[in-house]
Amino acid sequence: MDFDPYHPDRAVGTARVPDAPQRPTPPVPVKIIVAGGFGVGKTTTVGAISEISPLTTEAEMTMEGIGVDDPGQASGKTTTTIAMDFGCVTIDQTLKLYLFGTPGQSRFAFMWDDLVRGALGALVVVDTTRIDDCYPAVDYFERAGLPFVVGVNTFNGQLGYNLDEVRWALAVRQDVPILTFDARFRGSVRDALLVVLDQALDKAMKMRSS
Amino acid sequence: MRYPADPDDPDHPAAPGVRPYLRDTNPGGRYSPALPAGTPSFGEHRFGSHRFDEPQFDEHQYGEHQYGEPEPQPSEQTTSLRPFVLTSGRVDGLDPNIGLETQVCSHVGALSARLSPEQRAIVHLCGEPLSVAEISARLRMHFGVTRILVGDLRAAGHLDVHVLESDFPDPETILRVIRGLRSISS
Repeated sequence: MDFDPYHPDRAVGTARVPDAPQRPTPPVPVKIIVAGGFGVGKTTTVGAISEISPLTTEAEMTMEGIGVDDPGQASGKTTTTIAMDFGCVTIDQTLKLYLFGTPGQSRFAFMWDDLVRGALGALVVVDTTRIDDCYPAVDYFERAGLPFVVGVNTFNGQLGYNLDEVRWALAVRQDVPILTFDARFRGSVRDALLVVLDQALDKAMKMRSS
Repeated sequence: MRYPADPDDPDHPAAPGVRPYLRDTNPGGRYSPALPAGTPSFGEHRFGSHRFDEPQFDEHQYGEHQYGEPEPQPSEQTTSLRPFVLTSGRVDGLDPNIGLETQVCSHVGALSARLSPEQRAIVHLCGEPLSVAEISARLRMHFGVTRILVGDLRAAGHLDVHVLESDFPDPETILRVIRGLRSISS
């Protein structure tokens, strides 16, 4: 086997087991969803903290999309393609955090069920000049019972409305945190994700005690 | 009706009727589509020009070709394969537990099995654990297609798919993520 510095058995400070299995044990994946309208900074958010530059995967709308984004009889179009950007953060050798940036429009809701399954929570990125872009995502996460946090992306520190006004416009519950962050800065994105994780922890504790 | 493209015509180089990825001269190496100069790259044509959030429709990919219409140029034919052709038209994943972040790892010796080129590419990539989303992105295959092919490979015993038992992570896992994120410097 070739030398692989990232092989778990070669971690600094641990003895390498002779005759180690040829395939390393994969890390446990956890994911957080970054949702929001077009151009609000989802990909920037993912890219700011991801250790890889954001990759794009394509998802295909087929039968599931009928009625959601009905292309009509005449067009002959039976499929819609959407792109989803994602990145990851390796927490340690057994745990990896994935971030999936997903379009927030309701016509893409057909794939949210897939996305939300097993997700820790969601960060809904909001641009205050186009606040209604995020309504479908907020609706969906509320219904799905997924912990979510509203992150107002402050482009250059400018905020058109204060957070109380944003909360009023979104009409979310009082326990849904609304915060400002700057999608370009790693520290800012990290802090926003930590708030999402706090919410997820609350949910996990409640699930355990019930 | 259009005659077959002239191989000497510089605008329409005579591309062989195979998928671009099969023209890779280094089958054992990493997947890298080799394209004749001047043709739009595989990714650009099929996926790359899509803006995030904006579904785009490719006439050649989705439109219905009727008799009497001019046939697409060879270079277009080779890159406009409808995605689910690779799965023989199946659109339902065999296993709903295979999600975007599900970790996949190939078995030793799976490469010697007789596989389709796409499946071989998946097996080749998964020498180290990889998520289904990463496979999809690196091979530029639709996620739905990737998921089905991964399910097939798993059923055939060529891939280990690590399906998680619980839907929602336990508090200890979340605490580890929190600690890990806190240690990231800004």
